[in-house]
Amino acid sequence: MSILEVKGLQYSYENKKRVLRGINAQMEQGKMYAILGPSGCGKTTLLSLLGGLDSPSSGQILYQGKDIAKTGFADHRRNHVAFIFQSYNLIDYLTPMENVALTSKLPPLPILEQLGLTAEEAKRNVLKLSGGQQQRGAIARALASDAQVILGDEPTGNLDEDTAAEITAILKDSAHKSGKCVVIVTHSNELAKEADVVFRLRKGDLQISDASEIEQERKKK
Amino acid sequence: MIERAFFYTTRKRGKTLMLLLTLFVISTFVLTGLSILAAADHSALSLRQSVGGSIKLELDENNRQNWTYQQSVGGTLVGYTGTPITDADIEKVMSVKGIHGYNGVGDGSVFAMDFSFISGFSFGPGSDYSRLPSVSNSEYFNYFRRGAFKLVEGRHITPEDDHAVLISTALAERNGLKLGDTITVQCCYDAGGYPNVSLEVIGIYQSTLDDGGFTTTSTDKRNRLIIDHKAMQEIMMHDVIQYDNGVEFFVDDPRDIDKIAAQIQKLDLDWNCFKLTVDNTAYEAVASSLTAMQNMVTGLIIGIVIVSIGILALILNMWIKQRTHETGILLSIGVSKVKIVTQYILETLMIAMIAFGLSYFSSGAIAQGTSNLLFSQVAETQPIPEIETPDDGTEYLDITGQYIPYDTSNMVAPDSIEVHVTVEHLLWVYLLGMAICTAAVVLASLPVVKMKPKNILSQMS
Repeated sequence: MSILEVKGLQYSYENKKRVLRGINAQMEQGKMYAILGPSGCGKTTLLSLLGGLDSPSSGQILYQGKDIAKTGFADHRRNHVAFIFQSYNLIDYLTPMENVALTSKLPPLPILEQLGLTAEEAKRNVLKLSGGQQQRGAIARALASDAQVILGDEPTGNLDEDTAAEITAILKDSAHKSGKCVVIVTHSNELAKEADVVFRLRKGDLQISDASEIEQERKKK
Repeated sequence: MIERAFFYTTRKRGKTLMLLLTLFVISTFVLTGLSILAAADHSALSLRQSVGGSIKLELDENNRQNWTYQQSVGGTLVGYTGTPITDADIEKVMSVKGIHGYNGVGDGSVFAMDFSFISGFSFGPGSDYSRLPSVSNSEYFNYFRRGAFKLVEGRHITPEDDHAVLISTALAERNGLKLGDTITVQCCYDAGGYPNVSLEVIGIYQSTLDDGGFTTTSTDKRNRLIIDHKAMQEIMMHDVIQYDNGVEFFVDDPRDIDKIAAQIQKLDLDWNCFKLTVDNTAYEAVASSLTAMQNMVTGLIIGIVIVSIGILALILNMWIKQRTHETGILLSIGVSKVKIVTQYILETLMIAMIAFGLSYFSSGAIAQGTSNLLFSQVAETQPIPEIETPDDGTEYLDITGQYIPYDTSNMVAPDSIEVHVTVEHLLWVYLLGMAICTAAVVLASLPVVKMKPKNILSQMS
């Protein structure tokens, strides 16, 4: 059974430009999904809608069969989803440990160490960490929460190749080993090819893309 | 939430220090202003109390049915047949809130038996007598209250005194009298048969009045013997104490005198025989300078408070606006709007608590100096009030029908006041300051927390 379901989702900006035109999709636990598409096609908007950061113009987003517009966007954000942002979005006056503690009551150090931060780094102010270390902190914050859906907006966008690969592996593990539903918005074909399902957002429509298409695009680049 | 607030304030030290400094300066100004205002109010009350105001309960001479008039050789003998003012009446009036004292005045005339008056113009044998008032509290007697007489030795007459007398320095000098000496007087009325009455000198006063020109022995104020009612009762051979010249009641605050008079008027007294007269002359003379002083201080405080609230609102608005990104992040991870705003309020209040506490000491250091500067400027603009002798016959207050002038030299707003910053003022600053900080943070946060998290985060990126 799908944990997230999108039905007839439409979204228009305030200037009336319609960016999503009746999207339908289903997402399951234990899988990693990638959403590909050119800049400005509405990928981040779609992710924001899935995470309850914004409300659709029309259509529904169902979490475990329940419309999140009815159960409450704030409740959805608090209990069902966790975000990983390209710009990390950690609270800058807290340490990684304290950032993780924002979403979890569990001891934060084990998960941070699991994601590659040392105990000393975990207790350092986040602004004194590298981008990769900050992103590990952000992922730890997402994974430590009880949320079953992890939403990533270009989570490797600001990282070097090696770190990006490590982060991709962590996200993949959280889907396959921890049973989370991981949805990633990305430009990166490298990241997309690690996904179990790849969606392509074109002219406001979401279509499943097959692996050969991604491989071809990767080779072109 | 409390932990986050603590982390923010301790780790964003620059911003915390800036807000701490702003709140400290503002609360110092406000606390200083409040202290000066309270001191000015207190000073104004003291001045009002020192100039005083009185309500006189007296026999109504206009109600002719209470009076008898008999023609005799020397003129018209006037008799009173109505209800006299009694101690019970005085007690009733004294029960009215806002009255702190009274003075009943009796009237008589005596010959000096073992001493001599300062002689004035003589109308012939028997004219060498003096009118003398009996009083309940000589401190409240008009001559002393208006500054015409000043006690230079001894003490004032109180209701407990029995056969006590206050004499002038001139009379004491003329007769070689000192405190503790006794003098003997006898009523000089034609009826005769009055006893010799001994009086103990318990106080000596200095008259500041220049009688000048024409005076008789009885109108010369240096001959005024001020005695207690028990002595007068014996001198005049009265069965009970008589308050021939009425009883004056002194109010705590002359500003309230009309209200108090209205309350007295409602008491169960014989209003067919009595009348009330309000004397607020001195207060009215100083009211304008008091009002000017209080208006200036109040205006200054209101100005400080308004400017402070404005600056504070602006600073807190900036403080919250700088937190927009953080607000977006917290919203995106599911922290409720209420918790976010509460965190910001807690941070502000933590800083405010320290700033307000520190301002107690800084205000204490600058309040007196600021007040001195302010009041010296007020004093420069305030003239000494003048109270002119009324020409409508309403101001003849001496028992001999003479006007008693006011000494107005002390009736001015002070050029300095003693200012104390009290814990009560500090509590007000805490109460008002925390309410204003909370309101300012809530108002500044509303537009941010109303935004959709996506809009906040996309704006920031």
